[in-house]
This record gives sequence, structure tokens and C-alpha cells, in this order.
Amino acid sequence: MPREAEPSLNEKAFFLQALQDGHRLDGRKFEQFRQLDLQFGDQYGVADVTLGKTRVLAKVSAEVTVPYPDRPFDGIFTITTELSPMASPAFEVNRPTEQEVLLSRLLEKTVRRSNALDTESLCLIAGQKVWSIRVDLHVLSHDGNLMDASCLAVVAALRHFRKPDTSMEGETLTIYTPAEREPVPLSWLHTPLCITFSFYGDEGEMTLVDTTLLEEQLKVSSCTISLNKHGEICQVAKLGGTPVDAVSLVQCASIALQKVKELSTLLDQKLAEDSKRRNKGGLLAELSAENAR
Amino acid sequence: MPLDTSTYNLALLRVDGRRWNDLRRLHGQIRTQAAADGSSYLEMGNTKVMCVVTGPSESARRGGAGGGAGGPAASSSSSTATTPNGAEIAVTIVTGGFSTVDRKKRSRTDKRVQELQAGVAKALAGALHAHLYPRSTIAVSLHVLSQDGSLLACLVNASTLALVDAGVPMTDYLVACTAGSTSGHGAGDEGADPLLDLNGQEEQELPFLTLGTLGATDRVALLVCESRVQVGRLEGMMAVAADGCGHIRAALDRIVRDKGAQMVREGAIAKGESIGMDLD
Repeated sequence: MPREAEPSLNEKAFFLQALQDGHRLDGRKFEQFRQLDLQFGDQYGVADVTLGKTRVLAKVSAEVTVPYPDRPFDGIFTITTELSPMASPAFEVNRPTEQEVLLSRLLEKTVRRSNALDTESLCLIAGQKVWSIRVDLHVLSHDGNLMDASCLAVVAALRHFRKPDTSMEGETLTIYTPAEREPVPLSWLHTPLCITFSFYGDEGEMTLVDTTLLEEQLKVSSCTISLNKHGEICQVAKLGGTPVDAVSLVQCASIALQKVKELSTLLDQKLAEDSKRRNKGGLLAELSAENAR
Repeated sequence: MPLDTSTYNLALLRVDGRRWNDLRRLHGQIRTQAAADGSSYLEMGNTKVMCVVTGPSESARRGGAGGGAGGPAASSSSSTATTPNGAEIAVTIVTGGFSTVDRKKRSRTDKRVQELQAGVAKALAGALHAHLYPRSTIAVSLHVLSQDGSLLACLVNASTLALVDAGVPMTDYLVACTAGSTSGHGAGDEGADPLLDLNGQEEQELPFLTLGTLGATDRVALLVCESRVQVGRLEGMMAVAADGCGHIRAALDRIVRDKGAQMVREGAIAKGESIGMDLD
């Protein structure tokens, strides 16, 4: 199993000394994110998040299936993550690393278990037909902080996604093509996003957000907090590592809330821009008899 | 079945008759398996866990840690946490099919189980002095016999006891405890109380977190929350859980000392000169 090259002792010493002096290697502040770019594809439900050199792509697809027998009223919602060798030599196909398991569990807890997507609204005919919504997450380039980038990509793709409109007449279910009826958005309840904090120093006294791969390899412990802009925590995970003072974790939660508010604003703004781009001139342009010639 | 929390405000008593800051009955044994390097059995209320520690022993993978050409021996079902230049800690959790009411079979490759394993392994890696055992593996095998809430906390506590028995040096007892809150996830619920050490019924209904600390300090090694809760509730819940961890540390220490005293009385080991041991 190939492993990620570990940073050399010199790099480590230099990085920690710089951190002691209050500097990060790329000149950012401790609580500053890298340049964040969010783009939507031509299709509905494709989101491409670039965070510095980290790049993540999420694609949502929907199909009609039979529901699970124990949950006849709920639609099916799955998130699959794929860390391919394209992103880093440490990732192998068909052998999920611990990082991949933890990432998919994090997304599961943040988006699925917090009921961000109302699965009951995906039900078409109870016990027979439901929508199955599937999110495929691909990591295209790995330079640290996969968690935050992936979570943003998944949430953005789901909010951007439109599923075909349906109607029920008696016993017959009709699914309309996009040409017949405008596709409808998913019923979305709240927007959870996650922020990862990495701790450095013997006592974990220094805290960084949005770490690069090098910084991530040198951390002594980390804590991922998922919450929405209303201040509801959906998930907290600090799995081991060097013990950190409880007070600094509480501080992290309040920083996370502030960051999540910024990210939600950005997401709303990007979604609004995208819908404006798709909807040139609105209904008036659609109904006009004038053609391109 | 949803828990009826409406009566809590009347008597300030929980479903099992505890007050907000009461722990459940904690009963533990140490050195339960004679053949193992370290073993323990821990009950927190009706959550029952057995733990067996093997090691520190030679790493299963050949070629040493540097090559990284590891055999799949340990990696198939257990989660490992490595420490720089130190022992590898491999944790396996086996859940008995009979441990819950609905007899659901959980495979060992279930992501939920893998996450629990990773959580316990990484938390232990932060507490153990694993750098004393380079190129070795400490295998922690946990068996869940009965589940009634606070499972992760019980797993952590049981593995701490077994590692004490195995004689692996650690900074302090790694102890964990859960805390919940009687509030819904609305913001305005000011009368909400934090609750200590939730049972299975309460875990279904209330937001809760699991907090692991190193000894009776405020230093958090493990923090896991999987339910929706207002960010303002976090501090209160963490404070109550940290307090509970202090009590659990005292209880675990009692178990270890009682066993030690018993072994001296039975003549299994000689009484140490440097440690003032109270045998009565």
C-alpha cells in the first residue's frame, strides 16, 4: 500500500517555528480560508468546489426505485465518496482507507442524519415507488481539508439539483421530461456545512482552519464541527489525538458558526447567480415570438 | 418508542429515577481472562462490554514500519492508529447480535463500527506512551454484550481498564462519559437541564454528546456528537460530561486498586515498597 510522503524533519521544524511566531507558510491568518471557488455545471446537480489546490466534484442523480420494505414512506438518499489514485498515491481503488470511511460517515451524519433533505417528500407511491437520490463525490485534487470542501460540494450540488416533475392521476404516475415541465428542486430543510479545526503544539494550543496537505500531516489532533447558519450543531467529531482544552473547543464552535454563516451566504449568492444565468429574461423571453435570426 | 420527557419538569427525575447529575451503576472487573495480556469487563448501567488486550507484541506486518509494505493481517477488520515512531494501536469491536432488542446483525465492516474503532484507537493513541514500544502492535479487542446507551463511552472506559491490566504506560486514565440536554433543538428553551450519562431510551430522544477526557481534567481527547443541538448548549453539556468523567475516573481507579489489593492479599504479587497501598 503506497503511503503519502511524510514531511521531512526540517519542514516540520520550520513549519512549527513559523507557527509559534504566528505565521502560516502561505501567509494566511490562522482563521482564514484559502481562495474558495464554487462552480455549477451545465446540468443541474453538478457542483465543483475549488479550495486552494483542493478540488472536489459532486454530482447528483435521481431515479425511481422501490423503497426499503421497512421504510415504505421514505425516499432513498445515498452519498458515495470516491477517493481515487488521481488525487493522491495513498488512495487505492476498491480499498477504502480510514480517511474515506470517516469522510463518508461525516457526510452521512451532516447531511443525511440531520434531515437536511426531507426524504418523505421523495415518496411517489407508498411502498412501491420512491425517488432514489444519489450523490457521487469525486476528489479530483487533494491538498488538505477534504472534509470542508466535500461537504460544501455535496450540499451545493443537492441544492442546485432539480428532479423531474411528476403527477399522479388515479393510479398512474407520470414523470415529465424537462421539455414538458420545468424540473423541481428537492425539498431542502436546512443547510449544514462543516468546518475542520486542526490543533498544533504540545498542548494543542494553536488552532488552524482550512489546512493544506502539509499542515494536515503535521497536526496533533483535529475537530470537525458541522452546523447550519441558525447555530444548530449537526455533528461534532474530535476523534482522539492530543487532548485539547475544553474551552478552546467551545471557542472553535463559535468560530465555526461565523464561518458557516459566511459560507452559506456565499452559497446562496452563487445559487442566485446561477439561476439568473439560466433564466435569461424570464417568462417574457420564453413567450416572445422573436427568434435568434 | 418515543420517550415521554414531559414528566421530567414535574419531579426533575429521569425515566430510570436518576437526577440530572447521577451516573448509572458502574461495575467493573479487571483481569477477567487469565490467558490474556490484559482484560476487563465493564458495565455502565445495562451497557456491558468486555475487552481483551494483546501486546505490545511484534507487529504483524513484516518489513518494519518504514517500508510500509504491510500485510493485510490486521487491516481487514480493525482500525489502527499509529503514533510517530511508536506502537500501532489496533482496535476491533465485535457487537453481539443479542446485544440489542431487535437482534440486528451488524457486520464488522459496517462504517459505523469502523468509525467507533477509529475513535477509540485514536483516543488511546493520544493517551498511551506508545513511543516506548516501537515497531509493535497493541491489539485491543472489544466485545459488546449489551447496549443501553453510552456505548462509545463504555468502550473507551473498558479499554482503559484492560490497558492498565496489560501494564501499558499511559499519561492518565482515558475516561469517557455522555451528557445530553433536555432541550429540543429550538433556541428559546431556557429551562433546559443538561443530563449526565444517558441510557438507551434517552439517547433515542434527546441530543447528546460523548466526551472523553484524560483523567479528571478538562483536556478533551474525544468529543463526538451526532444529534442536532443548539451551539449554546455545547458548553453546558461538555461541562457536565467532564464532571462525570472525573467521577468515572475515580470509579475506575477504585477497581484497579481493589484488584491490586486483592492480589497482594492472595499472595499473587509482592507488595511494592514505594507505593503506600491501603489493604483494608
